[in-house]
Amino acid sequence: MRLQLIGISKYFPGVKALENIQFQLLAGEVHALCGENGAGKSTLMNILTGNLQPDAGQISLNGQAVSITGPAQAAALGIAIVYQQLSLVDSLSVAENIFANTHPHTRWGFIDYRVLYDRTTQLLQSLKLADIQPDSLVENLSQGQKQMVEIAKALSKQPDILILDEPTASITEGETQILFAIIRQLKAEGKSVIYISHRMQEIFAIADRVTVLKDGKYQGTRPIHEVTTQDLIRMMVGREVEAQSGTSSATREKLLEVKGLSGQGFENITFTLHKGEILGLAGLVGAGRTEIAQTIFGHLPRQSGEVRLKEQLLHIHHPSQAIHYGIGYLPEERKSQGLFLDKTVTDNVIVARLKAALKGVWFDFTKATELARQFKDKLRIVTPDVSQRVVNLSGGNQQKVVLAKWLLVNPEVLIVDEPTHGIDVGAKAEIYQLLRQLAAQGKGILLISSELSELLALADRILVIREGQISGELEGRKATEEEVLSLAAV
Amino acid sequence: MVKKLLQDRVYSLAITIVMVCLAASIIFPDNFPTFDNFSQLLLNLSIDTIVAVGMMLLLISGAFDLSVGSMVAFAGGLTANLMYFHQIPIPVAILAGLLVALLVGWINGYLIAYQGINPMIQTLAMLGILRGGALLVAGAGIQNLPYWYNAIGQSRLLGIQMPVWYMLLTVGVFSFLVNKTVFFRRYYYIGGNEKAAELSGIRVKQMKQYAFILSAMLAGIAGILLTSRLGAAMSTLGRGLELRVITAVILGGASLTGGVGKIPGALLGALFMGVIANIMIIARISGLWQDIILGLILIAAVWLDLVLLRRTK
Repeated sequence: MRLQLIGISKYFPGVKALENIQFQLLAGEVHALCGENGAGKSTLMNILTGNLQPDAGQISLNGQAVSITGPAQAAALGIAIVYQQLSLVDSLSVAENIFANTHPHTRWGFIDYRVLYDRTTQLLQSLKLADIQPDSLVENLSQGQKQMVEIAKALSKQPDILILDEPTASITEGETQILFAIIRQLKAEGKSVIYISHRMQEIFAIADRVTVLKDGKYQGTRPIHEVTTQDLIRMMVGREVEAQSGTSSATREKLLEVKGLSGQGFENITFTLHKGEILGLAGLVGAGRTEIAQTIFGHLPRQSGEVRLKEQLLHIHHPSQAIHYGIGYLPEERKSQGLFLDKTVTDNVIVARLKAALKGVWFDFTKATELARQFKDKLRIVTPDVSQRVVNLSGGNQQKVVLAKWLLVNPEVLIVDEPTHGIDVGAKAEIYQLLRQLAAQGKGILLISSELSELLALADRILVIREGQISGELEGRKATEEEVLSLAAV
Repeated sequence: MVKKLLQDRVYSLAITIVMVCLAASIIFPDNFPTFDNFSQLLLNLSIDTIVAVGMMLLLISGAFDLSVGSMVAFAGGLTANLMYFHQIPIPVAILAGLLVALLVGWINGYLIAYQGINPMIQTLAMLGILRGGALLVAGAGIQNLPYWYNAIGQSRLLGIQMPVWYMLLTVGVFSFLVNKTVFFRRYYYIGGNEKAAELSGIRVKQMKQYAFILSAMLAGIAGILLTSRLGAAMSTLGRGLELRVITAVILGGASLTGGVGKIPGALLGALFMGVIANIMIIARISGLWQDIILGLILIAAVWLDLVLLRRTK
């Protein structure tokens, strides 16, 4: 037994974040940790890495009781974590990032760059990441490569226990395969991996056992071959979430026409979005889908091509014009692009249409609050009051706030970019329902998603983007994951 | 409720000022709580506060302007120069001073917002340029400014000098506008998250440029007011004013990261510094200690904020 947690509890003011958690990690095991957002996964990992101290319970490592007082001690005990948010310094080289604060030095105490680069090269080669140069700056790497460097950094400390928190959230299918190969290699060396993910397919592909948390409570541990996806979801949610595939409300009436659009990272994109239609954009991370969306929305410059809304030719150079014409865009990065985290729910809901809170010519706080309350009720945003700062809300509720912002603007066309990225199963279902409702009201929805099950469940048609071009069109409800993937793959 | 009030800097600072004033009134009953002392105190901080209103707006949007102190000297000096050496009519000279301030603000805003120069560097450079400009136009000093020009800053209303009224008017008008207009509300979003503001349809660059223009204009107005009050223009006017103003604005609840702050905070921050300085003079503490004490107060205030924030988390 490598690691054992017995009866771990952690209380925050007014919340039982963790209650009597049991967890066992064997040597050479990949152990998946599942749960909705707010289930307590992050708190538990913070206890393991010494960022938080448990209020009750015991941690034992290799049979010995230990108390982990801080990240430095966790590292000394052989526990390494790769966080969801990347912790790399963009302006430094790959090697300097990997050996941050553990630079090899010469006899004189100065950094030994030759050894530094040699060791980095060795490390990257052993991870089959030879395409990453030790001396290239991190800012020049792709999102997926950054994630790999982050993992290499954790492995450079030669840990016995590696914790991966949503490692595939921002990497491509190919990179995921490399990651899995690394995990299998670690496993073969007798190392243990704790794998946190929302993605069921990955858990079934890589894990040996799975432990489920719900509302800070331990729900059980199962060998992976004894459970099904439905079992896991039931354990996480406490109820069945049926894979609903609603009826289509698509019409033949043209709403948004994009002709020969070219811009940063894509060219010659042509498609039509009809009233009441949900049009999916599938493709790998970095295929150019976000760029297409942001160009239509006026955030990125258009090189050529035209965009028409209800036959009218649009000249959009800034998001404010797109909004004026009736196009909304829910960005991919909820926290950095969608929300004002330190501002209240009210502030966030009204930002794209501040004029809605005018009373006469003057801005009126009471009216703004009233509007926000309406959306809080309508979208069932869970928060004590709309004067709460958004940073205190869970991921799913934060995303509902961003959606509320666009519902207030009420655009004809809503582009949603990874609308359920990193949010829990329950909130996901609600957002799906909401998007369907909007389509039923005659809006056009352009849905960008990396989750194939999401596209297949929601979209009427799916356009697959590969390296900045449309590589195929599929009928949403009849397409299979294999068809989409084969069109998307490079 | 009480806790909420205390967390709002405008209220906590107002309460602190009232308590400090009460204490000073008890200790120095003859010198502190007099009409003359208060009117002088307010007069002394009126110029700073007018500049601080613009600075508060900039800090809300997540930027700041180091060139305001030199702007005060340059705008005042230019106006005086035109009137004294070129016999330009008073209104025209004032208008010219304000136009130059607008132009400088436009340049600062354009280079920062549209060209991406860091505000610290751009306004630091402009600080030097304008100070040099002030030397060119005001040289060793210009005295004997026209009577009607001096009247702007030297007359009284209800026994209180005009700059105090201009200050109250500026604070009042901008407090109202920032609370009540969509235009100014946008600055809170820009300071909170620039990227999200842009993707919510706010024209961030344009708005930022406006903020620099406004800040420079208010500094220009302050410069004209200051020379009129003194009846003279000097190239050294407003030296160190930018740091005093930033101190006042931070004390008044702004943050260098942007997104927070209220216009009345600018007045309260300046008032607090004025009251402390005033008490020290009455207590016959050497002027050398003023800067030391104010520095310590600034650190204490910001530190207290962080401690309170940690508690609530």
